[in-house]
Amino acid sequence: MIFLPSLPCLATFLIPYNTVVVATGVAAIGFAAGVVGCFAVLRRRALAGDAAAHATLAGVAFAFLCSGGRRDLSVLLAGALVAAVGALGVLVLLRRWTRTRDDAATAIVLSVSFGLGITLVSGLTARGVPGSAGLEQFLLGHTAGLTRADALMLGGLSLAVVTIVVMALKEATLVAFDPAFAAASGWPVGIIDYSLVVLVAVMVVVGLPAAGAVLVTALVVIPPVAARQWTDRVGVMLLLAGLIGLAAALAGVATSALVPKMPTGPLVVIAAGGMLVISLLAAPQRGWLARWLRGRGVKRDWAEGRLLTAALRLEDEAGPFTHAALAARAPGGRGAQVAFKTLVATGAIRATEGDVVPVESRMASTHRLASTWRLSRHGRDRATERARRMAVWTEVLEVAREDARGHLTMDVPAPETVIEAVRLAAIRASGAEHG
Amino acid sequence: MTSRPLSTADSVSTPSPPALEYHDVTVAYGRRPVLWNIDLVVASPSLFGIIGPNGAGKSTLLKAALGLVPLSGGEVRIFGRPLAEVRGRVGYVPQRESVDWDFPVNVLDVVLMGTYARLGWFRRPRAPERLLAMECLERVGLADVATRQIGRLSGGQQQRVFLARALAQRADLYFLDEPMAGVDARSQEGIFRVLSDLRDEGKLVIIVHHDLRSAAEWCDNVALVDMRLVATGPAAAVLTPANLRRTYAGRLDVLDEIGRAVEEGGRTP
Repeated sequence: MIFLPSLPCLATFLIPYNTVVVATGVAAIGFAAGVVGCFAVLRRRALAGDAAAHATLAGVAFAFLCSGGRRDLSVLLAGALVAAVGALGVLVLLRRWTRTRDDAATAIVLSVSFGLGITLVSGLTARGVPGSAGLEQFLLGHTAGLTRADALMLGGLSLAVVTIVVMALKEATLVAFDPAFAAASGWPVGIIDYSLVVLVAVMVVVGLPAAGAVLVTALVVIPPVAARQWTDRVGVMLLLAGLIGLAAALAGVATSALVPKMPTGPLVVIAAGGMLVISLLAAPQRGWLARWLRGRGVKRDWAEGRLLTAALRLEDEAGPFTHAALAARAPGGRGAQVAFKTLVATGAIRATEGDVVPVESRMASTHRLASTWRLSRHGRDRATERARRMAVWTEVLEVAREDARGHLTMDVPAPETVIEAVRLAAIRASGAEHG
Repeated sequence: MTSRPLSTADSVSTPSPPALEYHDVTVAYGRRPVLWNIDLVVASPSLFGIIGPNGAGKSTLLKAALGLVPLSGGEVRIFGRPLAEVRGRVGYVPQRESVDWDFPVNVLDVVLMGTYARLGWFRRPRAPERLLAMECLERVGLADVATRQIGRLSGGQQQRVFLARALAQRADLYFLDEPMAGVDARSQEGIFRVLSDLRDEGKLVIIVHHDLRSAAEWCDNVALVDMRLVATGPAAAVLTPANLRRTYAGRLDVLDEIGRAVEEGGRTP
């Protein structure tokens, strides 16, 4: 590692200048891989990228042989790119000319090309060909070996790739979402598709020093999947995926800087995986936690609503009611029992002996003590409003199921807003009829 | 519903060529033919229904005209020219199931896709395109959900988003592949109304449709297809028990239903 302490930049007091350049380059790689990966994931081509990645090792070994044992990174990566694009070509041919299925074809290309690469690299190192030992670094990634020139080249390529994707965002989105419509309106879907796949191949190759042939796909696939959790817009997804990829790639640089001889790929993947787990769990709309909470809240509210409506009817028919009568009217197992306790605790349902029951007593004993129950004033209001909404909704759905259904949720929103929307739509439709 | 002049080859005395012509079109998937020697000429304007049983090649008939499947033989001409020269005048509504509705775009984004072909490479939609897209959404009654993610729509709303996207293409000839699939009666009427408006504006609307009753009610002309072209012409003249029996022959389960539909359709003028 060359140490250049000459520049009077603050970072150079703490980190060698060379490391700063390399870190910037690798960050650009991570960003670009995440951006390009979005379309691979949206178009369901993630595995093709993996096949291309595994093929790169054979390309690196060939390039090493052909260049007479020099270890010039750009030559080795050029070989890797040829191999990656070649693997994708074989994949397309397998699909088109044989009747091999997509997943099987991908697995075949991946394993065969990787086997070839491993054979070549092991053969070279076993014979002790000078310089061949370093080839293994392409297996799992090793950013410490990058020179400033290497980092600039890789970072520049990454920026070029990002520029192309951002420029063609409209075309790429169209083809990824609806290829048949794109083709019917005259877009060269095949060319756009293959260009995107080639860009993925380029990023897989450029990402080799950061994550290695085995793991570099993670840099292309994980950030987009994580980013998708946080947004419903393609543009935002691209940006987030880029940032997540950038952070993951920097984790690799940190490993190389702190622990010599440690491959960077695994840490890059672990960092990306960590961010993915957080995204899958904690994202506000699509996250598991949010969906679980929503689901639980929905169940609880629904159970409470059912009990209230049933209680209202019971009370209107025959005054105060027993717990057994209510349970018979609105059966629902444990959920209904929990809901009943909540309604008692929040004061929507009160015991008829009412205030005799100590508030701080355990809920279980509360309803053993009381024999009959009644709705409190606010419990009655809640129940009446819910019953009214349910009745109106039934009517609205009768008249305009399609339009109304989009507005109906399990918390039974006030139907008035829907009626307004449906009415407007009807007016518009009749206006179009006359217009 | 007034019946329109029959659109057959002998009415080509008009100066402009017919909007859509199939000449001897045959399409095969592998060795299995899907369309067999289709000869069909449709003049504009019309709301034209393509009717037939499942697997009859109805969708393929559209895809053949749109260049989405290779022809084994024959040729399709649109406005008297090959498709490549007139793509800008052709709009398309694919089947709803053909796309991933979890895709990260909102309703307006999808409708804007209808303007992409006119914009050309790398140019982004701007204010005029947005305005047009909103008008198209307005027309199908979806302006209030413009910013909603497309997965959070009902099936009928999704169909109407696709229709709005086709409207944004501002075409003269529209192909719609099963636009009523998964749509309730009220939405269906709304969609049919937009389509017949298009016809009244002088456009040709070709619709693959499975429901004979509403086809008889809304389409002025129809073609009965079952791999080959069974019959074509004004809906009332084509949807006869004899023709339907020829089209649906061997599919006994649907014959009863057809019989009923035809009897009811026969009563409407």
